[in-house]
Amino acid sequence: MRIATSQYHQTMAQTLGSAQARLEHVLQQMANGKRLLLPSDDPVAGVRMSRLNREEAALDQYRENIGALSVRLTQNETALDTTVSDMMQVRDLLVWASDGANASEDLNAMAGSLVSLRDSLLYSANSRDHEGRYLFSGTASSQPTIVHNGTGYVFNGNEATQLVTVGNEVTQPANVNLKEMADLLNQLDATIAALQTTGVNANDPAVRATLKANLEGTDTTMSAVNGKIAGLGGAQNILATLDDTHASVSVANKQALILLGQLDYGEAAIRLNGYKTALEATQKAYSRVSNLSLFNVI
Amino acid sequence: MSMINNAMSGALAAQAALSVVSQNVANLMTPGYTRQGILLTSAGSSRSGVGAAGNGVQTPQLLRFADAYKSQQMWTAASTQGQHGTMQPYLTQLERVMGNDTSSIDGGMDAFFAALNAASVEPTSSPLRQQVIASAEALTVRFNSMNQVLANQRTAIEQQRGAVLQQVNGLSSDIARLNEKISASNAVGTSPSALLDERDRKIDTLAALVGVQVVEQPDGSRSVSLKNGAPLVVGSTAAQIAPGLPLADGTPTLAVTFAKETFNVASRDLGGQLGGLDSYQVEVLQPMALSINDMATGLTTSFNNQLQAGFAMDGSAGTPLFKLDTSSVSALLTLHPGVKAQDLGFSSDPALVGDSGNLKALIGLKDLSLTVGSLGTVKLGDAYTQLVSGLGGASQQNTAALAVADTMRGYAQSNWATTSGVNEDEEAVSLVQYQQMYQANMQVFAAANTLFDATLAILR
Repeated sequence: MRIATSQYHQTMAQTLGSAQARLEHVLQQMANGKRLLLPSDDPVAGVRMSRLNREEAALDQYRENIGALSVRLTQNETALDTTVSDMMQVRDLLVWASDGANASEDLNAMAGSLVSLRDSLLYSANSRDHEGRYLFSGTASSQPTIVHNGTGYVFNGNEATQLVTVGNEVTQPANVNLKEMADLLNQLDATIAALQTTGVNANDPAVRATLKANLEGTDTTMSAVNGKIAGLGGAQNILATLDDTHASVSVANKQALILLGQLDYGEAAIRLNGYKTALEATQKAYSRVSNLSLFNVI
Repeated sequence: MSMINNAMSGALAAQAALSVVSQNVANLMTPGYTRQGILLTSAGSSRSGVGAAGNGVQTPQLLRFADAYKSQQMWTAASTQGQHGTMQPYLTQLERVMGNDTSSIDGGMDAFFAALNAASVEPTSSPLRQQVIASAEALTVRFNSMNQVLANQRTAIEQQRGAVLQQVNGLSSDIARLNEKISASNAVGTSPSALLDERDRKIDTLAALVGVQVVEQPDGSRSVSLKNGAPLVVGSTAAQIAPGLPLADGTPTLAVTFAKETFNVASRDLGGQLGGLDSYQVEVLQPMALSINDMATGLTTSFNNQLQAGFAMDGSAGTPLFKLDTSSVSALLTLHPGVKAQDLGFSSDPALVGDSGNLKALIGLKDLSLTVGSLGTVKLGDAYTQLVSGLGGASQQNTAALAVADTMRGYAQSNWATTSGVNEDEEAVSLVQYQQMYQANMQVFAAANTLFDATLAILR
């Protein structure tokens, strides 16, 4: 085949061009540590990575929600713990008041303590978050949990639960209500009224009945609240398990992302070397061939 | 005396041949130069007898080593290369923008749904609701900047098309003028080789801009037409092409003016840079813009409807979050004017502010199926990923086609050079040969002169 002299130069220019393009590509890959510089480098892997990234973003948010929810449940638990310890004191006082040997002055003094405990219980039941939303009003969180309507204490919230998204289509209740607290407060009011009476007799059957009812009411409410605290603890466990699951899935996703998208530097270095050798060989061949000319010898 | 004449014809022929060699060597590196040769034929004797071997050598014509088929191949390859080469920068630019995690709609969508998920922890929290509004705004910015990128590409393509058509017009006129000169040159018998080379180079440049069909005419001129048959050059007349109004489906058109008559042709599958611009616009850019529009529409409709089905913190019906304006480029998607954190309808019961029933429905919209332009029915959360994937596929295909076109063009060029290119060593051999031929003829002349002198000496 006949070869035109210009073809040597053209071939060289083309070879240099494509070798440099390959070198540039591998250098960019090495600089970024990425196997895929553009979606077109591997569209299928690109889609898989994009979907993994979407899932990662969702998992991150679920885990953040779990963290926030866990804090919120702990807040609820702390407030409930306070009411339980208040109720324990109420119970102690009621047991003491039920002792028939108490003088009326003693009972009057106990009424004073019960007033402050009642106020403390009401305050705890109407706990609010940093934005003034009531913790124990169910989803009616703009209304105080327990209000006094003139005749007695009533539960002003509802029994609905707020559901927090903690996984794909997985929700977890974020609140408990204190419906039962209204009954207890009403009983406490009755007890306080009875014990405040000047010359109250500890052995008066009416007083005893009030005290007995209140004691029973305290026990019922305390066990209900304790049940709610246990429920919150259980929810924390579920959240911890979910968080672990999310973390494992996230690790698997990240591994897949590394596998799909990260550059294997060893393999890249081998490619770089190969391109370099090819380029050097072409350059040497060119310098030899371009020196060959019949004009040099005639 | 025939010996002197023969030596004379030989020396002249050698000189002519050396002149051709020098022309070839001078144009060793001239792109598109077609090498020439000289045709040597022996001149028969006009007399009879053994003393009349012949009348020396004749140089009836210069040879032009050209192969029209190889030129055609080169031009076809130039068109294919031009087409894919023009598309690739646009594809790569769009890929870089769309595939970038920090600027992509995907990232914005992630942040928006994350904010909604976060709000489910405390649906009444003002900062969390504010975060939903802020991330919604960030998402609208991403939609708008994507729309802007597409609009900018559309503008760039229109400008490039204008520039390409201008060059096509210029080259068509050049070819027409060269046709005229070549016909004239043929008529008077001078060598048109340099003109032919120039015309071939012009056609080659033209072929990279738009695919052409070239037909050789008996007078040496060449008719050039577009792939759809519209004439560019006939003899010494050239057409003028201008961009026309696009068809209803968005297909661009060309207004071709030839011999005072103007007609419109659809600019479709024309090849070359023009064909590349057309197919990028019709096959990539328009469907992409439509898909982004459809996504924005789907997002706006579904979220606004769902939000309005819920109740704000004061118990009133929720307000829309997004505002769509498909006629605007930079404000395709914006926040609904005056939307505030407490207006978001997260509750499903006007009496219960802490309820998150409607918020859950909003979060669920990520899996909503909607019809997006070129993709058909897809999930809102996955639509963009599929768009990028489709673009990546198109770009990969074009890159492969461009690599093939580059190879084909390189092959066609070296194929052409095999016939028409100058080989330095070959010319060196010719140089030595014709130099020797000249010297030999001079020797013959000297010998004839000696004979003549000897004859004169006898007479003296």
